[in-house]
Amino acid sequence: MFNLNRAVALVMLAFSSGYGYLAINYHLLPFEKFLAVQPNTLPIGLAIAGVICSVFILIQRQAADASAEGDGTVNRPDAEYLRNPQNFNWSQGIGLLLLATVYALSLRVLGFLFCTSTFLILGGILLGERRYTLLIPIAITASVLVWYLVHEVLTIFLRPWPSWIY
Amino acid sequence: MLDGMLLGLETAFTFQNLFFAGLGCFIGTIIGMLPGLGPMSVVAIMIPVSLQIGDPSTTLILLAGVYYGAIFGGSTSSILINAPGEAAVVATAFDGYPMARKGQAGKALTIAAISSFSGGTIGVVLLMLFAPALAGFAILFWSAEYFALMLLGLSAVSAFAGKGKVLKAVMMTLLGLMLATVGESSLFHAPRFTMGVMDLQSGINFVTLAMGLFAVPEAFFLAIDKIRSKKTGKSGAGSSKKSQEISNLRINRKEAKAIVPVIARQSIQGFLIGVMPGTGATIASFLGYAVERNLASPEEREEFGKGSIKGLAAPETANNAASTGSFVPLLTLGIPGSGTTAVLLGAFIALNLQPGPQLLQERPEVFWSIIMSMYFGNIILLVLNLPLVPYIAKLLSIPRTFLIPFVLFFAMAGAYIGQNNATELLLLLGFGVVAIILRFAEYPLPPLLIGFVLGQMFEDNLGRAMRNANGIEFVWERPMTLTLILSAVVFILFPLLRDWLVNKRKKI
Repeated sequence: MFNLNRAVALVMLAFSSGYGYLAINYHLLPFEKFLAVQPNTLPIGLAIAGVICSVFILIQRQAADASAEGDGTVNRPDAEYLRNPQNFNWSQGIGLLLLATVYALSLRVLGFLFCTSTFLILGGILLGERRYTLLIPIAITASVLVWYLVHEVLTIFLRPWPSWIY
Repeated sequence: MLDGMLLGLETAFTFQNLFFAGLGCFIGTIIGMLPGLGPMSVVAIMIPVSLQIGDPSTTLILLAGVYYGAIFGGSTSSILINAPGEAAVVATAFDGYPMARKGQAGKALTIAAISSFSGGTIGVVLLMLFAPALAGFAILFWSAEYFALMLLGLSAVSAFAGKGKVLKAVMMTLLGLMLATVGESSLFHAPRFTMGVMDLQSGINFVTLAMGLFAVPEAFFLAIDKIRSKKTGKSGAGSSKKSQEISNLRINRKEAKAIVPVIARQSIQGFLIGVMPGTGATIASFLGYAVERNLASPEEREEFGKGSIKGLAAPETANNAASTGSFVPLLTLGIPGSGTTAVLLGAFIALNLQPGPQLLQERPEVFWSIIMSMYFGNIILLVLNLPLVPYIAKLLSIPRTFLIPFVLFFAMAGAYIGQNNATELLLLLGFGVVAIILRFAEYPLPPLLIGFVLGQMFEDNLGRAMRNANGIEFVWERPMTLTLILSAVVFILFPLLRDWLVNKRKKI
């Protein structure tokens, strides 16, 4: 049966093959051809191992599905819970990722203080916070504090204002 | 040696030096909590400030305090928000974060503090007793042995794979190794797999990948979790009972009994791994976790990854012991054993001190005051941080409408600070989306990060060993290499064999 596990294994197979193709076609310098180890030696080995491994995962899926319960895999929520899409509030999660993307794209242009405050305020609103008198001061204070710690105390440059101002 | 210790004690035990040790611990803890600012960056940032003090002993005492504080600070963000800002504290999140999610953040932070203290303190005792002898042991390791040691570190992935997931764990390790080959390596000075993107020339940034793999999916899963949002509402986790539970830092007798042998074993193992230049706290913490998981009883093993106190104590002890161990080659040979000790070497030089065999003869007061300051740094860190644990743990009681955007913001700030590069943020979000899909598909993510962290060292040492031997003969020509490689094979096969036996017994 085609499921997410198999789809990921298929993507891994494609990724390993593409990586292997790039590794094999890596342009070696004339002297590198005679070295015991070349820049593409390990990548070629990794690509071969990746292809074999992903093919095995594709083949083995049925057996692994059966034994999916109660394993010791770390850092993931309960397997059964994850399998049911109805358990999730997708709009909030995807909205948050989109907001983070906008934040990433605008940070250099609009400066740290404005972007961070706006991100924290809009993020809070997106997740259902309506106490604006609390949210706005906290977001602004946190942005200023982090900027002050990084830029002024630790002297790591962090553009505070939009690029056309400073 | 006793004279030296007394001299060091006399130098370190002044009001001024105790004050600076405490100040260093405090500053290190606070700054170390910010993802992306690991001990190396914090120590580097503090060097110009500390040099203003003038007195070499006091300067180094302040920096030692900052170092230990930053390690503990890094563990705090790993445990509370699953945002390991440094490779050495990645393994801390494996069980520390599940504990925090179960409402045991206070206990998790206490175990982390005690394990760090014990690992650091036992490490200092070993440093005092065996430093000169171990220095000789460290230089026995050549590229071939380092390659084999990396292989042993990579074999730890089997510890992160559940039943039927070994192949997935291996696939993730391979993916991590592939990502580590992006950009220029120190062996081959030409960019690889950059697809013409200039920002990838120097490779993928560790913080970007770590935050993408752990913190971004965490923020996403917290946001989409309907049950949690209903349970906590706008007021967060914060009922007074829950809040009390979160900030409770008590460890009962049974738990203490369980972690004592772990601490004892990992202090020694972590220290020995830390002694070898270039390996350090990261491998020590991964191997420590893997070893303890393999040694645990089947019931305890099931708990690993779900909030096991042993799983938290092991990497925390090992990384602190290894951090102390990395001072052996620095103090006795003048060779920095880790990134942070390389930065500290810069501080030594700025102070007109030359670490190495002469340091003990020419400036014994500095040598012993550094060792004694490590003692004090550890003690002060514990005294300073234990009372703060309930307050730090209460960060989790913050309403989710505030907590989730802040987790995401800190993850992005970690990748952005110091780089000022928006590409890093887009990469971080890209890794985050991939990690979310991988988590839905039940692929374990820690092996990916282990593969990435060890990847570059793995390739460099393999390359050097192959160049020296003009082939792969080094594998069987060097007994220590062969022993380590065989250990790695056993390390992978042992869990497979154990699972097979358990399945066989069940069938019978």
